[in-house]
Amino acid sequence: MDTLLQILFNGLSVGAVYALFALGYTLVFSVLGVINFAQGAVFTLGAYFTYLFIGGGVGSNGALAGLQLPFALPFWLALLLAGLAAALVSVGVEAVAFRPLRRRGAEPLLYLITSLGAGVILVNLIQILMGAEGYALPAGALGWLPVTITLAGASVRTVQVLLLLVAAVVVLALTWWLEGTRGGRALQAVAEDATTARLLGIDSDAMIRLSFAASGFLAGISGGLVGLSLSITGPYFGIGFGLKALGVLVLGGLGSVPGAVLAGLIVGLAEALVPGEWSGYKDAVAYAFLFAVLLLRPRGLLGRPLDTRV
Amino acid sequence: MPTIPRLARGLLVAGVMTLLSACRSGGSGAGPIDATGGVPVGAVIALTGNSSVIGQDQKIGLELAERHFAGSGAPPAAKGVKVKLRLEDGGSDEQTATNAFRTLINGGVAALIGPSLSQQAFAVDPIAQRAGVPVVGPSNTAVGIPQIGSFISRVSAPVSVVAPLSIGAALRQNPAIRRVAVFYAHDDAYSTSESKIFQQALQRRGLQPVTVQRTNVSDTDFQNQVTDTLRLKPELIVISALPMDGGNLVRQIRELGYGGAIVVGNGMNSPNIYPICQKYCDGLLIAQAYSPETTAAINQTFLSLYRQARGGAVPPQFSAQAFTAYQVVFESLQRLQAAQPPGKPLTALPAAELRRRLNSEILAGRYDTPLGPIRFTPEGEVVQERFYVAQVRMNGDGRSGRFQLLP
Amino acid sequence: MDATLPVQMVLGALLGLSVYLPLATGQLSLATPGFYVIGGYVAALLSTGVAALGGGEPSYPLPSLLLEMGLAALLAAAVAVVIGRPVLKLRGIYLAIATIALVEILRVLNLNLPFTGGAVGIFAIPQPFADPWGYLLLSALLLAAVCWLCARLGAMRLGRAQAAVRDDELAAACMGIDTAQVKLTAFVISAVIAALTGVISAHFLNTWNARQGSFDASITTLAFVVFGGSRTWVGPVLGGLVLTALPELLRPVGDLRLIVYGLVILAGPVVFPQGVITPERLQHWARHRPWRRPSPRAGA
Repeated sequence: MDTLLQILFNGLSVGAVYALFALGYTLVFSVLGVINFAQGAVFTLGAYFTYLFIGGGVGSNGALAGLQLPFALPFWLALLLAGLAAALVSVGVEAVAFRPLRRRGAEPLLYLITSLGAGVILVNLIQILMGAEGYALPAGALGWLPVTITLAGASVRTVQVLLLLVAAVVVLALTWWLEGTRGGRALQAVAEDATTARLLGIDSDAMIRLSFAASGFLAGISGGLVGLSLSITGPYFGIGFGLKALGVLVLGGLGSVPGAVLAGLIVGLAEALVPGEWSGYKDAVAYAFLFAVLLLRPRGLLGRPLDTRV
Repeated sequence: MPTIPRLARGLLVAGVMTLLSACRSGGSGAGPIDATGGVPVGAVIALTGNSSVIGQDQKIGLELAERHFAGSGAPPAAKGVKVKLRLEDGGSDEQTATNAFRTLINGGVAALIGPSLSQQAFAVDPIAQRAGVPVVGPSNTAVGIPQIGSFISRVSAPVSVVAPLSIGAALRQNPAIRRVAVFYAHDDAYSTSESKIFQQALQRRGLQPVTVQRTNVSDTDFQNQVTDTLRLKPELIVISALPMDGGNLVRQIRELGYGGAIVVGNGMNSPNIYPICQKYCDGLLIAQAYSPETTAAINQTFLSLYRQARGGAVPPQFSAQAFTAYQVVFESLQRLQAAQPPGKPLTALPAAELRRRLNSEILAGRYDTPLGPIRFTPEGEVVQERFYVAQVRMNGDGRSGRFQLLP
Repeated sequence: MDATLPVQMVLGALLGLSVYLPLATGQLSLATPGFYVIGGYVAALLSTGVAALGGGEPSYPLPSLLLEMGLAALLAAAVAVVIGRPVLKLRGIYLAIATIALVEILRVLNLNLPFTGGAVGIFAIPQPFADPWGYLLLSALLLAAVCWLCARLGAMRLGRAQAAVRDDELAAACMGIDTAQVKLTAFVISAVIAALTGVISAHFLNTWNARQGSFDASITTLAFVVFGGSRTWVGPVLGGLVLTALPELLRPVGDLRLIVYGLVILAGPVVFPQGVITPERLQHWARHRPWRRPSPRAGA
């Protein structure tokens, strides 16, 4: 029983990261109908920002070797700031890689490539500035909280519980924002039909920027949280999560917030249940799931019908 | 639409012209090499892509070697030989490394150091072999690399000799160990071959792994696999991985409550693990092809050079091996030059001849390096006299530590 | 003389065409690296494992190479037919992600299967040519053949059906076009091109492993098409040639190499939203024939 609980926790905490990541994709997708491939790099940046804001120093290989910010914030504040900084970067990505194309009415296919270009630039900038080495938030980042806690007989890492809690809070907040506030409903209106939204007096450019900011914030704080849970393994830290989350996004159904959450948790759990002898196939689980579901339900688990454009 | 085929023909012609103009003639080997500024030696290491953490360690090793052997601190016999190091990014894939090798070979280098990864070596070493350019591999450890050809050698000891030592050390510390769990990064050539050796060594001691877990180099979250493994109550965990993923794995194993012995492979023999697993690195048993603790003069020199450049840090194995590869090429050139009749500089030889002689000289020589005394088998395999088993001892701050040699 | 980069450029152009063909039918399939890897493994396994093919000889016999290409093409076509039927029912980004999923599943399989050599892969693949020029000739011939096919398609039923399906699938179906068949045909041809490219690539690279086909490769090949232009076959060829060469030509830039590369693939679509090559631009050039202007007798 206790191991089952532990597996459950592992699966859910990984799944929560996938879900947060996929939510970032979803926000942009629902407004623009495209996937932002720079999201993985923004996630990585979130982890690096958190590390720097908490007072971590740069190693010896990057151009910023030896740099240390003159302040050291407590973890939660650093995480929040990192989320905001990542949101800023994400808005920058929109301005450079998306807006010029949108102005010219280019096909959505092009965004895949321009956002990929933005991602390549960000990842390599991180390497040039910070080096390729790994970084870890200090072990005492959470203050008085113990490393592991015991829940119903299972020993669980505190970080995992926090990750789950934060993910739950973020999903609730996001749902509330989308459904319960003017800004959120304006965003949904743009997602539904940009032309009508404009007629209703909604500034769709501002809404698109807002969706990028929100998705960047999500990526940033999930990067920071994962950076706390696991050590930052270098400039390519977020790429693996980003690729997995891409599968999760489509599995849940493009543009669906509950779908992204559900699919994230399913994939996380499924990976957790892969027995040791088959661990080599673990990475294929998400895609195999995705593939099987797409064949049965071509729009994913909870997806809305998609128009026929590419 | 008749214009399209004609257009196609035009484009094809234009394309062929571009292709032809893209292929300028390179060093054919008949004439002497261009030694302006020194004998050109190429180095191809991973400066970009997901293996750049290896490349950046190697880069500093090469730069220190270049400075050391060119500078005033060089041994007195350095008369006459100047080496010009040409560093090219080999990326983390085979295609980029191929281009880098070709660029340098056509640029007329006398020898090559690299590439960073074994998988890349399988792609590019045959090219150098066909061109007759000697290659010294600084970090290629997979089985079969020196066998690629007569011009291929390496200073990185193959996994088969290094790995089993640490298992022995773990069993000496605790002879009662019966239950062993194995982890390895199955998408990494080095870790895969090393784990095979580990498992054979365990088998010879009558230990059957209770589980063998496959991980990926790009993985960061191992909690499922760790939970799965700890349920089987292992008394020893053996890990073959690279610093980043391995460090994270160790951290998660410890955080999830494992208190037993952990043996890690040579791939994790790097201070790069300290910031990753922090205080949890403490106690790791590790087989080393390079130990910063050795007292040989050349290692002390290397240590002080590295400390100067890196603010007191301890050099990783990749840097030491890259330094050694440069040293091997440099000293071989030096000996060749010394054997030349007076008035006939080495660089007057036809390039092909120079490369052939240099290759024989590399294979024939003995070297006193930071890795200890080394030489080569006729096949190009390194014969290293000493390997080390060390235990990681972390300092109180949990961010720095050292590899303490075990007897 | 060194033809390494030109060979890689031509292989890039072939992969670009392999992505272009389904796209010309309105299908965003990113399965190309998967078939490329299959082709490479066919070549690697046969040439290193079957002694009768002549892998032990100093120069690998050309007939053996052609046999490998034939078998790889057959295998890829068979796989494409089997998975194409269900997969091509998906649309747009769903199809793109499903094909990326296929490539990733294949990569994981290749790492775990007993005969693919795991992470080390297969090495010491015998060489049919002494230097890259032979490879350049072979791959350029293949490229010329595929280009010829693409150019001819415009005049063939299949090509017109493709265009009809791309413009409006429903209308095409109403006109009596078997849209599923047209899509599948394009998918199979695309798979065969990728597999043939994989065969040449495996020999050229000396070694083959699971990393050759990955998510990165899927996106890079898509970039070839988007950068060059997806409305005529000339675009992907140009995109493949240029974008493969670019990181190498940028070597003098040093550390900033990949950043400049990122800037180019970011700026390319912004400056040329239709790709560098469009049918209109081609028509324009064909009419004015700028390359003939200096001397009317020169040229072809």
